[in-house]
Order: sequence, then C-alpha cells, then structure tokens
Amino acid sequence: MTTQIKLHDCAKTFADGTRALAPFDLEITGGETVVLLGPSGCGKTTILRMIAGLEFPDAGGKITFDGDDVTRQSIEKRRVGMVFQSYALFPNMSVAQNVAYGLKVHGVGRDERDARVTAMLEMMHIDMLADRAIDQLSGGQRQRVALARAIAVQPRVLLLDEPLTALDAKLRVRLRTEINGLLRKLGITAVYVTHDQEEAMALGDRIVVMQKGKIAQIGTPREIYRKPQSPFVADFVGAANRLDGQMHDGRLHIGERVFDAVDAFDPRHGDIIDQGPVELYFRADGLSTCEAGDADFTGRVEAVSYLGERLRLTVSGIGSMPVIVDTHPDDVISAGTPVHCRVNADRLTVFPAVAVNS
Amino acid sequence: MSLMQNIKEGRSRPSFLSPVLARVFGQATPGAGSPAILLLLITPGLVIVAAFFLIPMALVAMRVADGPDGWATYFVILTNGRYFASLVQTLVMSAGVTFCALVLCGICGLFLVRNRFAGRNMITALLTLPLSFPGTVVGFMVIMLAGRQGAIGSMTNALFDEKLVFAYNISGLFIGYLYFSIPRVILAVMASAQKLDPQLEEAARSLGAPTWRVVKDVILPGLMPGLISSGAICFATAMGAFGTAFTLATDIDVLPMVIYTEFTRNANVAVAASLSIALGAMTWAFLASVRYFAGNSGDVAARGGA
Amino acid sequence: MIMGRDWKFYAQLGLTIVLCLFIMIPVVMSALAGVTVNVFKGLSSGLTLRWIFEVWDLYAASIVRSLGISIACLLVTLVAGVPLAYVLVRRPGRLTRLFEELLTLPVAIPGLALALALLITYGGFGQYRMSWLFILTGHVLFTLPFMVRSVAAVMAAMDMKTLEEGAASLGAGFWRRFFGVIVPNAKPGILAGALMVVTLSIGEFNLTWMLHTPLTKTLPVGLADAYASMRLEIGSAYTLIFFVLIVPLLIAMQAFADTAKRPPKRDDTAEDTI
Repeated sequence: MTTQIKLHDCAKTFADGTRALAPFDLEITGGETVVLLGPSGCGKTTILRMIAGLEFPDAGGKITFDGDDVTRQSIEKRRVGMVFQSYALFPNMSVAQNVAYGLKVHGVGRDERDARVTAMLEMMHIDMLADRAIDQLSGGQRQRVALARAIAVQPRVLLLDEPLTALDAKLRVRLRTEINGLLRKLGITAVYVTHDQEEAMALGDRIVVMQKGKIAQIGTPREIYRKPQSPFVADFVGAANRLDGQMHDGRLHIGERVFDAVDAFDPRHGDIIDQGPVELYFRADGLSTCEAGDADFTGRVEAVSYLGERLRLTVSGIGSMPVIVDTHPDDVISAGTPVHCRVNADRLTVFPAVAVNS
Repeated sequence: MSLMQNIKEGRSRPSFLSPVLARVFGQATPGAGSPAILLLLITPGLVIVAAFFLIPMALVAMRVADGPDGWATYFVILTNGRYFASLVQTLVMSAGVTFCALVLCGICGLFLVRNRFAGRNMITALLTLPLSFPGTVVGFMVIMLAGRQGAIGSMTNALFDEKLVFAYNISGLFIGYLYFSIPRVILAVMASAQKLDPQLEEAARSLGAPTWRVVKDVILPGLMPGLISSGAICFATAMGAFGTAFTLATDIDVLPMVIYTEFTRNANVAVAASLSIALGAMTWAFLASVRYFAGNSGDVAARGGA
Repeated sequence: MIMGRDWKFYAQLGLTIVLCLFIMIPVVMSALAGVTVNVFKGLSSGLTLRWIFEVWDLYAASIVRSLGISIACLLVTLVAGVPLAYVLVRRPGRLTRLFEELLTLPVAIPGLALALALLITYGGFGQYRMSWLFILTGHVLFTLPFMVRSVAAVMAAMDMKTLEEGAASLGAGFWRRFFGVIVPNAKPGILAGALMVVTLSIGEFNLTWMLHTPLTKTLPVGLADAYASMRLEIGSAYTLIFFVLIVPLLIAMQAFADTAKRPPKRDDTAEDTI
C-alpha cells in the first residue's frame, strides 16, 4: 500500500494571473513522509492541493501515482486521505458517522464498516467518543477524529495540511509524536505541510523547503539543519544570527579577526569560496561567552532571558544587527553590561554575499 | 443619599430598593449601572409594552366571551365550518408558498454565492428589492403581472390569442406571497451559504463523495438553519398577511380577510377577536416551537413588514 | 473553487434570471404606467408627469404624514429601544429573556389582531383615537423589537463588559460610560435599526389600515385607496412615488448589512499565492 508520487514540470498560475508555483519536479518514494516547509504564501499548500486533486497544474505538468497518470483526475477518484487545519469534520454527524462516511461512500457493507470504524477509533484512542457530536470535542480530539476518518478508507496517500497549527504548544508536541508513530506503523506515503521547522524535523523523512513558489532545498532533516543551501533556508531553520565577513586567500576575516579552517563551500556551485565578501549565518552556538583574553569580540548585553537550561543573551555591537548568544544558566549577567564572545568557526555557514536587491 | 441622586450620579450605592432590584437584575457588578439605573433604562420600553400590548391583548381576550356563544366563542375557529375551512386554506397556502420560496431561493441563493459573473451584484440587489414593500404594493405588483392589463395576460394574448388573468383569486395571492417571500429567503440562504466551510466539501470529496452526496451530506445540512429560520418567517408572514389579499379582492377567504370582514362589515367584534387571538397564538406558537427545536433560528425579528 | 460553466451553471443562471424578471417586470411596468398618458393605449400614447402631480394634489397630506410618523416612530424607538437593548444584553437572566419574548410578540402576532386590541382598548378615547398618535402607537409597537434586536446584536458582539470596566477604571461614571462608550460603539446597530424602523413605518399597512381615520391617512393607506378607486395611472404614479421614497432606504440598508457582515478573509489558498 505504498504509493510512489511523481510531480513533473508542475506549475500553478491562478485565474487572476498570479503565479503560485514555478515549474518544479518532485518525487516521493512509496512509504516516505515528505514535509513541505515554508512561510505562508510560499506555495506549499498549493502543492498539497495539486497532489490531492483540488487544484490542477498548468498545462504541461504531470502527476503520477505509481505510474498512473492522475493529473486531470478529480479528488473523489484519487483515493487520497486528507487532514485539514480546521479539521473539516461534518458537524451534522457523530464521531463514528464521520469516520464511517468514506466507507459508506465507497459502498462498504454495514458490518465491515462498523468493524473498521471501531478499529480506527481504538487505534486513535477515541473509541469512547464514538457517539459524541463534533461540537462536544476538544481540538486534540477533533484532530484524532480527522485522522481516523482520513485513514479509514485506506487511501493511497495521506495528505496533512498544517494539522496541528490550531492546537496549543503542549498538545502539538504530543500529537506530533503520535502522528509520527502512526505514519511509521501504517507505512503509508504521506505529505505534510507546515510552517513549523521543529514539526518538519520531527516528522519528515525528507523536507522540502519552499520559498516564494520555488523549491529552495530538498533534503533530510540533518542536511537541512546542518547544510542549508541558501541564506533563506539557514534563516528559516533557525540560524537567525548574521555577520558580514571577507574571504582573503581562503581565510575568513570578520572585522579585525582572522579565522582559518572555515568550511567555505558555495552550496550552490560546490566550489570553495576563496575571495570576496561573505555572509555568515549561525545559531546561538556560533558564539560563546569567554574571558576577555580569549575574546574575538566584545559586545553589550541588550536583554537577558532565563530559559531554564540556558541563559539567552541578546548582544549588540558585534555585527550590524544584534545577535543571540547562549550561556550557562547560572551565570549572573545583567542588561547593559559588556560581554566577551568567542567565535566557534566550525558552526558558521558561509554564503557569498549578494547584492541587496537581488 | 436618595435613589434619584443615585440615578443622577450614576452610582451603585445601596438604597432601600436595592434588594428588590437585585432580585430582578441580579447582583450589581462594578462595571454595569446600578439596579436603579437599569430599572430607569427599561422603563420607557416597559410602559410601551404594558400599556399598548399587554393590557389591550388582555381586554381583547375578555371581549371574546361577549360573543353570541359565550365562552364557546373562543373555539369558533374550530367549531364553525366556514372559519375552519378558511384556517385550513390559509395553512395550506402558507405552507405551499414557504415550500416554493425555499426551493427557488435555495437554488438561486447558493448559485449567487458560489459564482462570480458580470451582473451578479445587480441581480442580487434586484431580487432583494421588495424587502419592505407593504402588502398593498405587492398586491398591485401581482395585478401588474397577472391582472387584466398584466404582463402575463398580454403575453398569452399575443401568443395564444387568449388573455391569462389570475390575479384576483387564490393563485394571485399565492404569487403575491411568493413575491414577498423571495427577498427574505434569498438573503437568509446567501448568508448561510457564505458561512459554509469549503474545506468540509473538500473533505467529503477527498473521501470519494460524488456531487449529489456532497449536496446532501454537506451543503444542505449547512444551509438548514438558514432555510428553517427563513422558512418559519415566510410561513408566519403568509399566515398573517392582509394587505395583498385586501388589494387583490375582498372575497379571498384567507383568515386575515375573514377577521377584517367580521370586524368591519358585520361588526362582529367578539368573533373577530376570537379569530385574531387564534391566529396570533398559532403564529407565535409555531415560531416559538421552531426556535425551540431548531436552536435560535426562528427569530421573528428577522421578519419585515407583513 | 470555481465550478465549470457547464449546463448546470446555465440552468441555475436561467432560473435566477426568471426569478429576477418575476420581481422586476411588475416594478418596471408600474413605474412606466405612472408616467404614461394612457396605459390602455401603451407607451405610444406618450409620457407625462400629469399623474404624478395629480397624486401629489390628492395625497400630499398622507405622504407627508407618513414621513412625520416614521420620524416620530424613530425617535420613540431610539429613546426606548437603545437603553432596553443595553439592559437585555448586560443583564441576561430569566426575567430579561421573558421580557424580550414579550417585546417581540407584536411582530409574531398578525397586525390585524394588534390593531383590533388597540381599537377595543383605546377606541373610546376620542381625541387620541382621531389623532396620528394612535397610528404612531401601532408603529412603535411593531418596530420597537427591530430596533432592540439590531442594537442588542451589536452590543452583544462588542464585549461591552470589558469596555465598560475599562471606562470605569478611568473614572467614568455610568452616564458618561453610557453616552461616551456604549452608544458610540453600538452606532452600527443603532443606524441599521434606525433605517429598518423608518422603512417599516413608511410601508406599514396591516395595522394602519385598521387604525386610520379619514383625517389620518398614511402613504400606504392612500395607496390602497388609489388602487381601489382611482384609474390605473394614478395608482401607478403613486406607487412610483413610494418607490422613490423607499428604494434609497433599502439600498442604504443593504449597503449597511454588507459592510457589517463582510466575511473574514480565508487564509489557505489566498495566502499561498504570491
């Protein structure tokens, strides 16, 4: 029951002329979970809706499920299971009736239907809610019903459109773990849309990062996290700190300081950046606090937040914008004091600087 | 500090009336006005309702007993063959008008919400134009449409050499009530249709439902509250409408016309009062039960001038 | 989601247009008849404003009286209705609900029955019964619930409690809060209710027909009179005058309703567009 999905040369232009997606290719192997990640407006939902059959690609695009051309097939023929951000449960039906709906439509007999519904509800731990009305359910319960309804028909593909966005943070993490377990157990091909980097990393076998209607990068969570191929991806997966630098003969200059042994591959071309201005992206671990003698830079603490396992400092005076630096939670540092920082050069991602307007 | 002063200064200081007022309005909260102020605020409304509605209605109810059959006059609508027949005719016609209006407006209202085309806003505006035409004007519109000089008559005259005239009987009244109901039901259907969640339809389709099933399982249930409430109002309005029948002819035997005739021509005040009470009670009971069984949808205030 | 323009689209469009014609044909016909020299001969007999002037000569008093009554009715429903709505929303309870039901009853009960009750009770008070105030009474009874509902709906949606507590925390007393915070914020409801009240009052016939005297005719009463006893052109011209009065009110009401309940923007496909 693992369906391979191929999208070839698919683009989407809406009726009003706006280009939602530039032409792209995407292959999803059977049983794989692919997460489409990006900010709102990047085109990730449009890809999902294309796979579902709720949108058709522009002429020339082709979508296949296991080699069957489904490009012009409407959603009701495609056998896809869909889970919506707003759950989209039928308010005029009970929990059990919602889950049974797809089976009823497919003409599954009453006895088998009941058995399948019971099994689904048990699997999602909501069997005690079978006769409840939808408006009596909590958000988390609704999402479980929506999942049960989508997988009850044994779809070829499971499509999830930001299914956890409407839930609070704690529940989101719990349900994320459950969905992960469910996807592994079913071994079903799944496409999951989210704007949450953590969710993407936790769930995806591969992540497709989208930017303005284009695919910015496809890779495993590790690749996306460690080797972002563009400043956009680096920024989006959490490397929010930025410094400007210069490469001179393979050595990195930041202000007055010079660093050797920097991993300075241009991700887009694969060649080593030897000369010229560069942009450095890094997480909080790219800098650490130190004694004055070891310091590469000295900045000023703008703000301090205590996060339990670490103390997070917002430091100005190092680059053109404030940077985030973490330190030991027991350190006593107050805003307005100077702080000495050392650069951990191996944690920096180096990109050739681009002109501002390109 | 006196009660008057409390009111003037808008303070919630306890006064001798406080315990009584607190019973009526509940405990004062710091944000709201004091019970005395609240009482002052509702006084004009209270006086209007009491003096011009409660007392008159009570007096009418008492007048019924002065009728020819004494207390039995209360049930004249059921016991007298002519009145009962008129009641049945009124009920059947109101139900018929309601049904037709719901079907026609259900289709058109959904269509207008779902599709974008040139002239769409214009059509919507025109369909809702008769929203507060009085019954007399609606009657005149029916005459324009199906009367002796009417559009339909002229058309059939040109086509089949025979004038089709049906304004002045029960069919004319039916057309008039339909005319009157269309704006109301269209507006209600469009309001409900706008609230339909498109993701529900997408979900049904993703589970394999063909179009007719989507209509039956998702769209109709979604429109139902709007259909029920506008249908109830449509029915209640048709039950009590008087102006249209009055303009078309005086011999159409719907209940409001019978009441009018009894009161003005026959000066039979007790019977007119009895029939009025019966009609009012039935209409109210109908709306109240719709509201009870279908949530808050039988909202009578959504009804326009009858 | 755009449906294909197949036969179903055109069938529905056809039905909609038929319905639209059903509404509009008589309106246009009567408007034309009102300015036609001889309606039996048709438009070829020429256009004239003669009938309009004749209607004005005959019924000017009724028309002016209707406008006066509608404005008086608006004032009364404002004074009585806005505070009433405030109390109903601010203090929901069994008693207020009962009162609200009572208040709405005059709309549920056919106008004839109400008029009958008023006649039986106050018919003996000659001066009052003969004056336009008697008709005003009926109109207020019928329109007050609309004002209350319209204002209450807006008040219920605006989280009055927080607003009031905010104003109180800044030191505003009750009347200051009421006129400075509550009333201005309820303005959309008050305006919508006001339009509704005026429109309903100008068009009210069921009650008015029973309550009027020869000296207190209103616009719709005059209309009924014209339909029954004048030539078709006069009735049509009178109807035309009514349309000219009522249609702007209706358009204002619609425009108002449209801005009030504009659906919130959906965020899935719209957002995923560049």
